[in-house]
Amino acid sequence: MRNGLVAALLLGAFSTGQRAAADEGSVSGPRILQAHCAHCHGGEEPFGRFRISALGDSPGRENIGLWQKSLEFVRAEIMPPAGASTLTDANRRRLIAFLRNELRGKGEQAGRLSQAAPRRLNNRELANSVRDVLKVDHIGTHQPLADLLGDALHHGFDTDGDSLGMSQFHLEQCIEAFRKVVEATVLYGERPQRRFYAVTASDMRMTNLSQRRGEGRAHRTAESIDFLDPRLRVYFSNFERAPATGRYRIRILATGKDRGIYDSAATGIYDGDPIRLSVHLGDRVSVFELPDETPTEIELDEWITEGTRLELSYPTDGLRLRGNGNFKFQFAIAHDYIKRTDPKRYAAVLGERLPKAPARTARSPGHWSHWTEQWQGPRPRLFRAEIEGPLYESWPPRRQVAVLGADPKASDAADILHPIAERAWRRELHDGELDPIVGLVEKIAAEDRSPDADIRALKEGVVAVLASPAFLLVNSGDGSASEKFASKLSYFLRGTIPSRRMREAARSGNLATFDAVRAEIGRQFDLDQADEFLHEFPYAWLELDRINFMAPDPDRFPLYSRKRLSEDMVAEALRFFRHAVEGNLPLPELLAADYSFLNADLARVYGVEGVPQDSQFRKYTFADGRRGGLLGMGAFLTLTADSLSTSPIHRAVYVMEKFLGIRPAPPPADVEIAEPDVRQAKSIKEILAAHTTDPTCASCHRSIDPYGYAFENFDSVGAWREEYMGHIAPKPSRAELLEIEAQDRKRAAMGLAPSEKPWEKKPIPVDAASRFPSGAAYHDIVEYRRHLLSDANRERFVRCFITKLLTYANGHEVEDSPEIDGILALSAENEYRIVDTIAAVIDSPLFREE
Amino acid sequence: MNMTRRSVLKGIGGALTLPLLETRMVASQQPPTRFLVVGNPLGMHPLHFFPAEYGPQFALPETLRSLEWARDRLTIVSHTDHGMNNGHGREISFLNGILPENSASYPEKNVSVDQVMARRTHGRVRFSSVHAALQRGIRMSWNANGVDLKPFTEPHRLFDHLFLNLTSEEKAVRRQLIVRNGSILDAVGEQLAGLRQSASRRDRERLDQYETSVRELEGSLRDRSGWLDRDKPKFDISRHFAGPETTLENRYNAIFDMIAYAFETDLTRVATVAFPNELNYTDIGGVTRGYHACTHNGKKEEVIAELIGIESFQIAQLSRCLRKLDAVSEPNADGTMLDHTMVLFGSGMGYGGTHSNRNLPILVAGGGFRHRGHVDARGASGVNMPLCNLYLTLLQRFGVERDRFNTSTGSFDLRHA
Repeated sequence: MRNGLVAALLLGAFSTGQRAAADEGSVSGPRILQAHCAHCHGGEEPFGRFRISALGDSPGRENIGLWQKSLEFVRAEIMPPAGASTLTDANRRRLIAFLRNELRGKGEQAGRLSQAAPRRLNNRELANSVRDVLKVDHIGTHQPLADLLGDALHHGFDTDGDSLGMSQFHLEQCIEAFRKVVEATVLYGERPQRRFYAVTASDMRMTNLSQRRGEGRAHRTAESIDFLDPRLRVYFSNFERAPATGRYRIRILATGKDRGIYDSAATGIYDGDPIRLSVHLGDRVSVFELPDETPTEIELDEWITEGTRLELSYPTDGLRLRGNGNFKFQFAIAHDYIKRTDPKRYAAVLGERLPKAPARTARSPGHWSHWTEQWQGPRPRLFRAEIEGPLYESWPPRRQVAVLGADPKASDAADILHPIAERAWRRELHDGELDPIVGLVEKIAAEDRSPDADIRALKEGVVAVLASPAFLLVNSGDGSASEKFASKLSYFLRGTIPSRRMREAARSGNLATFDAVRAEIGRQFDLDQADEFLHEFPYAWLELDRINFMAPDPDRFPLYSRKRLSEDMVAEALRFFRHAVEGNLPLPELLAADYSFLNADLARVYGVEGVPQDSQFRKYTFADGRRGGLLGMGAFLTLTADSLSTSPIHRAVYVMEKFLGIRPAPPPADVEIAEPDVRQAKSIKEILAAHTTDPTCASCHRSIDPYGYAFENFDSVGAWREEYMGHIAPKPSRAELLEIEAQDRKRAAMGLAPSEKPWEKKPIPVDAASRFPSGAAYHDIVEYRRHLLSDANRERFVRCFITKLLTYANGHEVEDSPEIDGILALSAENEYRIVDTIAAVIDSPLFREE
Repeated sequence: MNMTRRSVLKGIGGALTLPLLETRMVASQQPPTRFLVVGNPLGMHPLHFFPAEYGPQFALPETLRSLEWARDRLTIVSHTDHGMNNGHGREISFLNGILPENSASYPEKNVSVDQVMARRTHGRVRFSSVHAALQRGIRMSWNANGVDLKPFTEPHRLFDHLFLNLTSEEKAVRRQLIVRNGSILDAVGEQLAGLRQSASRRDRERLDQYETSVRELEGSLRDRSGWLDRDKPKFDISRHFAGPETTLENRYNAIFDMIAYAFETDLTRVATVAFPNELNYTDIGGVTRGYHACTHNGKKEEVIAELIGIESFQIAQLSRCLRKLDAVSEPNADGTMLDHTMVLFGSGMGYGGTHSNRNLPILVAGGGFRHRGHVDARGASGVNMPLCNLYLTLLQRFGVERDRFNTSTGSFDLRHA
């Protein structure tokens, strides 16, 4: 009956009389739609190309997206737009309820998944899972998974069901990769001899950047070698690669040299940062802090795979400020320093160098090439090293006994492989399920005549367990409810197979309530068991992978690339998220707290003074109301900006999609978009004038752009600006000016106006004011932030956060549903606190899939 | 052995020994048609790509200048696209016209045109297709399971794949590995059968995909064990890296030369090469910025110049490869190899500077077509032509008998000479 009414109303003509009537008393959803929406969204050319009649009677397969979008926009108070509407709050609530009711349960009928999408494990989960199935601390330093096909991200998420498909290439590379891992885990045959390697300074070699042979630049004496160029690495000529797989003990005698001698503004290295040394074993890196001028032994004890290269490097984001960033130009810092502090030495060096120098450099005393021997920049100095290994507590090694047993026989394959398969497949085995793999092991053992036939056959059995669809595919319906829940929770928090404890807890019903889930995840966070989540989720949600998709222009923002600011910005976002979880903060605080975490590099970008001059992140409270929280972060402001200019639209879309849960439609394909032209000095509002004057653009942009204009005071790296300096061209040289004048005379002769002279124009002040579609106006970012903390927006942010968690967990975007309202209500009961909200998501039927 | 072929080969440098033909081609057999795609993810600066005039008498725009010698052998197609919304991320539909999220409604998902051709060569050549890029791919090639194929990203790895012959011990190890992998597939395949029986509807799709993977991999292992004893042709890669520095140009030259030679020796008939966004192009004279940043130049002339530098570089590499193909006569047929190789250059993005995915830059060369210069593909209605129409024409020329491809509505008028 009610559905019939919609159709009937849609046929009827719109009249103001109806609108007036609609706002009085209790009216139905369809009537409100008709009264408040149909005027613009009807007729020949409906606004935003959306016609109310497209909604039909109720949501179906073809138009469910329109229903959802309608709900999204009405709830966000974007539609109907203020000024064009007289919709009362009460009727807005009625309309929302109507749209929600219609949508209830329709998603599934329309073929949309409500449950988690079965998918392949992504490469990150694969590495973790193989590690834990085999009970080792890492899968091997030989990068056994390096050849796997890369995972595609879907809006930043690496857990997207549709993106994680399977092909013969995946399968083959998985099998090859698993074999490499198992090879490095299960050893047999003769126990390799332990050896001792004494590495002197002369055995230490510096790699070279070019493909040619020869050594990279280093300073060395008979006793020591110094790092200069941080891009180079040291290796040991008598221990380039590990000769056999096993545990090695590595000791390196090293010290930090000359910290704080040169001005840190010149080197880009803060005096407050200790000098560090990195030890690389394949892609595993250990970083050590070296004391100043005190040779000290650093020690590693690592399981290293045969063939792994051992290399050392000097990790720093400095020493790239001079010249084009290549290290050699940094030597000129030595020139400046000596000239200033030691005139005698200065004269001596030049007296010796200049006569011998080629003509090109002889006339410039500051040329870097004269000063290479004088370098006193902060650097690690290495003296000697000792390596001992391979070492084994027993033979076969204990790690292998833990998986296969001490003396495994192929005839025991079923017993040996059973627990491995149960871990890998995250469930109890079905009857007879292991038989094909046991058969495989028996067959190989029978054909193999070598003395190690049994163990070689069992290794293939382990590879087969891992190649099984039961391992490679997650979120399948296979297994009991508790097994599925344990598995899902474990991949959500830790990106790996569930621990025995987790499976046990789920099985015995100890994770069945909100309180139990809350206690469990609280425990996991406290014990640092959920670091995977704390890194991967915010990274995906905020699409931090995009930060250098269009990096800020290297000429205009030199520090950005030279001091690797993108790493600091990503670190800030992750640090902030971790802080929120550790303190179980109310979620809206993430959005617009008055603080964030800065190091000295970020403080420079943000214009903050008086912070300690080092690379450590510390909490900083902003007093000006402009920054703090996600809305003020360099990562957000940079990844939404173009390299030279900024885009209020990109920033608006980011805020809407990431924080408010609104996904604006992309511009239609047949719209010709004018290319931005920064040669003329125009404000962004002038450039985007069409967004308000052209009705086609305006129908969507009116509700998008206001979310972005407030950020115009932040430039491409997120630094504060009052004026658009960037739109002004630098003044040309004298010669160029004369040329331009001559051209202008010619133009005048032809009756043309003189050419544009952008350098003569005045900087344009930033105008960051705008008005939201709901009618609320703001003058600047301070007011904008206040607006985003309104009760309605706080709720929108929490709802959005909830959907992002579910996207991460389920591998697809969830549709709006009463269950989400349930989570939201539970979150609200707990002051929107983040850990409680995460627990509410996990406890929800949308996660549990009941 | 074919004597005319030997005499032809004497004429070209580099190949000292007669390449061993992979297929047992006999003189009477149809000469193969080949397909080479060269693509980028950011489109082309339109003013410097599309000629101002239509028809065969066009002035070659700046970016295409290196193709002057081949101006009669190419067709530049204006006003064709996939009807995609604007913005990044849709360029991955370049060769199929379908985004992954919409692929479920097509029987072969978002399979790309090269893979439909590759499937046809299956069993006739050693590698049904070859994919290369530097650093990383741009997701051009998609199989019928909706999974994108990863390219080789290092010339040396591509070399090993195409030309490295194994010693007899290595072959024995490889053969054993093929057998081993086959046994593992047997075992998991058997388990799969059990899982399928109890699987829910939503699981079945993924299990199907897994099963297809198993089946295809089994087929591929069978093929490979068949090819294992037959030596690959010899190719000398060292001269590409003899210089003091390894430049972008060196590396792309090596890639294109290997592919040209793989075509010549019939190792494969389908290949794609990509110029990714993330690559550092500062090797090229005058380029100091990132590729993507250059597309968002705000119309600043010096930045546009850098973009044109990068785009011209891509075309120059292509041109060089075409010359290479044109220098070799097609065995068993008239014309050069270029006349039997359809070359497609283009992008799934129109122009990065406007984020437009309309009017894609598309250029077809070689392939024995009666080329048409610069063509406006809009019909009488003034609507852009679906790019899949062109792909349908290319498929038909390749010998695939179809009258539709993905989103095609017809074919493109490009006749065989």
